[in-house]
Amino acid sequence: MKFAVTISDSTEMIEVSGAGGRFRVTIGEQVWDVDARLTPQGISSLLIDGSSYVADVKDEDGFFRVDVQGESYDIRVEEETRHIIRTRGRAAGGHGSQIVKAPMPGKVSHVSVRAGDTVNAGDPLLVIEAMKMENEFKARAAGTITQVRVAAGQTVNPGDVLLIIE
Amino acid sequence: MLREHRINKLLIANRGEIAVRVIRTCRELGLATVAVYSEADREALHVLMADEAYPIGPPEPAASYLAIDRIVQVAKAAGADAIHPGYGFLAENPVFAEACLAAGLTFVGPPPAAMRAMSDKTAARRMATEMKVPVVPGTSSPVSDDAEAARAARDLGYPVMIKAVMGGGGKGMRLVSREADLPAALRMARAEAGAAFADGSIYIERYVAEPRHIEIQVLADAHGNVVHLGERECSIQRRHQKLIEESPSPFVDDAMRARMGKAACEVAAAAGYVNAGTVEFLVDRDRNFYFLEMNTRLQVEHPVTEMVTGLDLVREQLRIAAGERLGYRQDEVRLRGAAIECRINAEDPFAGFMPSPGTITGLRAAEGPWVRNDSGAYEGYTVPRFYDTLVAKLIVWGADRDAAIRRMARALGEYRIVGVHTTIPVLQRVLAHADFRAARLSTALLERMLPMFRPAEGRYRPVAMIAAALTAYERLGRTPAIPPSPSPGPWRLGARRGWGPPRP
Repeated sequence: MKFAVTISDSTEMIEVSGAGGRFRVTIGEQVWDVDARLTPQGISSLLIDGSSYVADVKDEDGFFRVDVQGESYDIRVEEETRHIIRTRGRAAGGHGSQIVKAPMPGKVSHVSVRAGDTVNAGDPLLVIEAMKMENEFKARAAGTITQVRVAAGQTVNPGDVLLIIE
Repeated sequence: MLREHRINKLLIANRGEIAVRVIRTCRELGLATVAVYSEADREALHVLMADEAYPIGPPEPAASYLAIDRIVQVAKAAGADAIHPGYGFLAENPVFAEACLAAGLTFVGPPPAAMRAMSDKTAARRMATEMKVPVVPGTSSPVSDDAEAARAARDLGYPVMIKAVMGGGGKGMRLVSREADLPAALRMARAEAGAAFADGSIYIERYVAEPRHIEIQVLADAHGNVVHLGERECSIQRRHQKLIEESPSPFVDDAMRARMGKAACEVAAAAGYVNAGTVEFLVDRDRNFYFLEMNTRLQVEHPVTEMVTGLDLVREQLRIAAGERLGYRQDEVRLRGAAIECRINAEDPFAGFMPSPGTITGLRAAEGPWVRNDSGAYEGYTVPRFYDTLVAKLIVWGADRDAAIRRMARALGEYRIVGVHTTIPVLQRVLAHADFRAARLSTALLERMLPMFRPAEGRYRPVAMIAAALTAYERLGRTPAIPPSPSPGPWRLGARRGWGPPRP
């Protein structure tokens, strides 16, 4: 079974075979024998050619966050065929626009910008009050605010689009 | 043992790890415990551990953990004779302390008058000045409007620090480096202070560049005895919230400790202080110290003092509240070895420390020699979004600072929390950093380090890829990696499926 495994912008093909906790994993020219014990709690024991690792795997929105030995990787895993279909049709669309989403539930306590405003990187956009803290959101890059979808006082959930900068 | 005011049953007006920590000492002393909880905390660990637990209202703190009348009413109905406020919430609210006393309950904390004298930070600064203890230059009373704030800031000279008059825990604090940023900073500071302390008043201080934050723990009994338990170095902070604390401070020698300790005891005595309290100082590069404020509560970071003194501070608080004498003199207080505390918060340190509430699906705490885990979490527990992000405090002791640092690095490596993001990766990087190891500390150090920290250096990249690929492979249902356990215990079942009604 082949997977396309993507970390930041680089994708590698990984082949996995095996069952019952014992697997053979091939990345490029390298082949590993892996004894893996995955738990529903997301804490996995991996014996890779005898070296013992514990990796924490957490489901995020469309990818895994894997923590191992103090390092943290955001990894997207797709079946190879699905990856090929998806990437073949990819256009350059959406490049340069920032969609600011709420990373946690909370209440919008202040919105500093309006549609049509131009912002520079680091400019304050809005403030969300969550877990007793005022969390200020700043623009990652310069641009023009095309949409503001929330107002002060509004409650937001994770993933809600707050505003869009082109 | 707690005779004079006879505390037999204690209500803990708090939640999370501190409520659990107070319950533990009560159990050791043979006191019955009463927990209170909001609708968001039915499954919280303090509710599970207390002898009794009663709901006090909806999740919003103002309607539950800050509801004075309701909490006092529950204490009376449950037959409690004392209330421990923990830290935060009502811990430094004199109105709450007075309400307890009026209801015939012992308040485990200072007398309301002493609390009032110190809770207004501007009044506390005036008192310290009278005691000839130096303070950071700033406004001697709260500033009411933006124009007055701008005038004061201009007189002091930028950068300035906005602080909550009723402040604590870094809430309502903002550093302002130019006048243009002042209005927004005032607005956020007032909002944060208002939400945290039900009082949005603020005052302004000159900003001391690259200071150390060093605080002295004091204990005072009702018979006029005051001792200090040495200092805690709390310079590793972000957004004025402490992340790592240690005792003793590598910057403080015996002579300086004696001077700071004496100043702290004098401030406490002048305020008529009784119970455990903390006098905070800023210390500049030349070892000059300035009184910042006195915190009239048990501090989050009290365990490092417990580790080096061998004293249980909650036990001391209960003894003092019951009217007992301290029973030891200053020269009998000894500091042994070094202790470090790391705060494990549910925050994503690689996304600006955004709060990360959610369900902890996997949890393995650090264990082993000289490791202490003060936690409010367990596997299957959901970190609610209504309260602060502190999930656990990891504390270690070592024969000296170097041994403690190595032990903490080891323990952080063992600690695994899956389901929410935590500060653990950043704590590990700070512990490994040359400036931290060499004790080149200041409150600006962490903010300076943060941009250099990367989530990953690439060393374990293949391991991470293999873990992710195997997880996906298993999800596709090829084969279960481990056969389902034949008879999972009820705890495990609970953890996996969430809580339900009790099974028959």
